[in-house]
Amino acid sequence: MGSRGNGGSKGNSKIHYYPGCSLTSSAREMRESFFDIARMFSLEMVPLEDWSCCGSSPAHSTHHGWALLLAARNLLLAEEQGVSELMVMCPSCFVRLREAERAIREDEKKNQEVERAFGKRYGGSVKLRFFLETMDSLGLKALKEKVKRPLTGLKGALYYGCLLSRPEWITGFDVGPYEEFLEDLFRALGGEPVRWGYDRQCCGAHLAVTKPDMVNSMVDRIRDHARRAGANCLVVFCPLCQVNLELRGQEVEALPVLYISEIMGLAAESPHAQGWLKRHLIDPKPLLTSLQLI
Amino acid sequence: MKMDRSFIEEVSKRSGQRFEGCYHCLSCGGGCPVVEGMEYNPNQIIRMMQLGMRQEILVSKAIWMCVGCFSCLSQCPNRVHIPLMMDTLREMALESGLKVGEPDIWAFHREFLNQVRKRGRVFELEFMMRFKLATGAFFQDMGAGMKMVTRGRFHLLPTRVDGLKEIRKAMGE
Repeated sequence: MGSRGNGGSKGNSKIHYYPGCSLTSSAREMRESFFDIARMFSLEMVPLEDWSCCGSSPAHSTHHGWALLLAARNLLLAEEQGVSELMVMCPSCFVRLREAERAIREDEKKNQEVERAFGKRYGGSVKLRFFLETMDSLGLKALKEKVKRPLTGLKGALYYGCLLSRPEWITGFDVGPYEEFLEDLFRALGGEPVRWGYDRQCCGAHLAVTKPDMVNSMVDRIRDHARRAGANCLVVFCPLCQVNLELRGQEVEALPVLYISEIMGLAAESPHAQGWLKRHLIDPKPLLTSLQLI
Repeated sequence: MKMDRSFIEEVSKRSGQRFEGCYHCLSCGGGCPVVEGMEYNPNQIIRMMQLGMRQEILVSKAIWMCVGCFSCLSQCPNRVHIPLMMDTLREMALESGLKVGEPDIWAFHREFLNQVRKRGRVFELEFMMRFKLATGAFFQDMGAGMKMVTRGRFHLLPTRVDGLKEIRKAMGE
């Protein structure tokens, strides 16, 4: 977390990033709202050229060889394109890329597998960065300065889900050290973070597609606890969590589910906010209108 | 009675895990968000491996239910990497040619990987349609799917990776 809180935008006007499949489709609003934040800080977003799927759950679940190679191809591309820091927004993509990087670093045989498949070895020069690290490095003070309309009345249950909240030795990123920053950020934007216990519970991941009944009850439980804690919205950091929390759940009245970057964009009165808000499956507009936030 | 150790030894070798550390404290299953869909708790799978129950494990639902949320691993006092064990068991189940315990979940993974093979990326709209066709549940969840489409949550045109050839080669074609 080297550059924590010192307005790290100086001297680096580009953010190289790995888009990933969800961010170009079902989680477009996560990407677009983050782009708006980048724009506010005059940072240019540069996608990894010819990026391919990280392999996600299906690869590591059924074929460990593919899991390594599909992720490694992107590390090779980044290295080839001279990218020293590659930002990843989707927690699942991040963990897959990080896992491949670790496997290659710890086991020479893995790099041989990579070389056999792609004709080159990975030199290990790319630093993977989760988007929260990037946001954190902008600094709370600088982020706060962008607020035009404080989000008064927005009571958010910050929902980290599984991959963000597991110990760093497992996934390569642990939200632990950032939690205070995120709560402070939410407060700085004018919102009120609620205290609750379900912020680390799994959203059901891909079982939302194959076992909808089961995931309905998982999502209901998360919503129920958020409501009991007094929240009027859920704040999320992952494309899959976002979709599951909007799409599933049956018994408990739904809550709007907003990405942290959308929340930031709303407070900063991003001109594109209407574009993201209309794509939500649970319409956040009634809540935001009642609080006079849009 | 002599136990067949060959199965657990293979899982151990392929996953890089030692299972002797498990003393059945139930931390893994206790925190598992999907344990209710498993007919055996994660620690029971370890016990069954120790007893050489190869076939019972490979046809089980339990090995397919794990979504890899790492709750078990975070809580295991002996750091037995259960998600990695589940990945390995699924892979072995597919290699064995035995009946798959959760055909729908396998169809999900398979169709996803077919997308990667086809374009190097996942075209979510087609992926969902193909999954529905493969499982015969085409009209189930139609409302949710339509909502995703009408709210613009699916990109309507796929993109393709230039280096598709090397991806297909990496995936054994």
